[in-house]
Amino acid sequence: MKRSLPFLVLLACWLVTSGCASGPKFREVSGTFPALGTDEGRIYIYRTTTFGGAIQPSVRLDEQRVGKAIPKGFFFVDRSPGGYQIATSTEVDRTLSLTLEQGQIRFVRLDVSMGFMVGHVYPVLVDDAVGKKEIENCSYTGTSGK
Amino acid sequence: MRRCLREWLLLGTLSYLVAGCAFDVVHVKQAPTSFTSGEGKAFKLDREVKVNLGTGFPTTLKAGTVWTLAGSSQHGDVYRTRDQVVKVEASNIYEAFIVVADESLVGFYLPVEETFAPIKKPIELQIDSLDP
Repeated sequence: MKRSLPFLVLLACWLVTSGCASGPKFREVSGTFPALGTDEGRIYIYRTTTFGGAIQPSVRLDEQRVGKAIPKGFFFVDRSPGGYQIATSTEVDRTLSLTLEQGQIRFVRLDVSMGFMVGHVYPVLVDDAVGKKEIENCSYTGTSGK
Repeated sequence: MRRCLREWLLLGTLSYLVAGCAFDVVHVKQAPTSFTSGEGKAFKLDREVKVNLGTGFPTTLKAGTVWTLAGSSQHGDVYRTRDQVVKVEASNIYEAFIVVADESLVGFYLPVEETFAPIKKPIELQIDSLDP
């Protein structure tokens, strides 16, 4: 048992912190992103916490996969004004409903909470000032699908 | 060995059941409502308001926020603000506008769902009317 303790500690550390995003940071790369279209708004989706790092569910926007909840990572989607649902699935489904206006930039943070068998990752709409600050040190993971 | 197998079977069954259910434990009570866009009125909220919908996740409307008319519903006028994110939260989270009748908060309008989420007792708002 004593001999397996270091292994268990390492395994626990890996489960907590594994799989962090490694791309360029927001502050380095955000200037290179394309300007918004005339009839579009932008939603930044990011995850600051490494807690539950092994759990990286897909993120869906109106049931279309747009990215992955990678710790310390972010991506963005540009969409026409309207109402949208952002969803993640672990052992449960969690959704966030939000509106998007022309030229508007919104920030959605992916939080993690304890679950029954695995942690739950869920999207939270945050104030612009909070989002702008928190996303600074996140790394770009790229958007999948449109 | 048999006991171990039984425990694993039990755990497996529980996991299956849990994975199969939506785990949507706490709901926001909401009902479809009418909504007509409008504009022309605005006010500043003088005092912070904390609203509890009974979901365990209170919604706070910050003091000093400016609210502009977005429209009207059968329950009252619908206002929104750009000074803070307003959301009602249960198992899922919904962006919300506030519904005001007779200078009291009566509930929330959920613009994506197009529904009204009432609060149990109207809350009188301390407001300063602003020129539109």
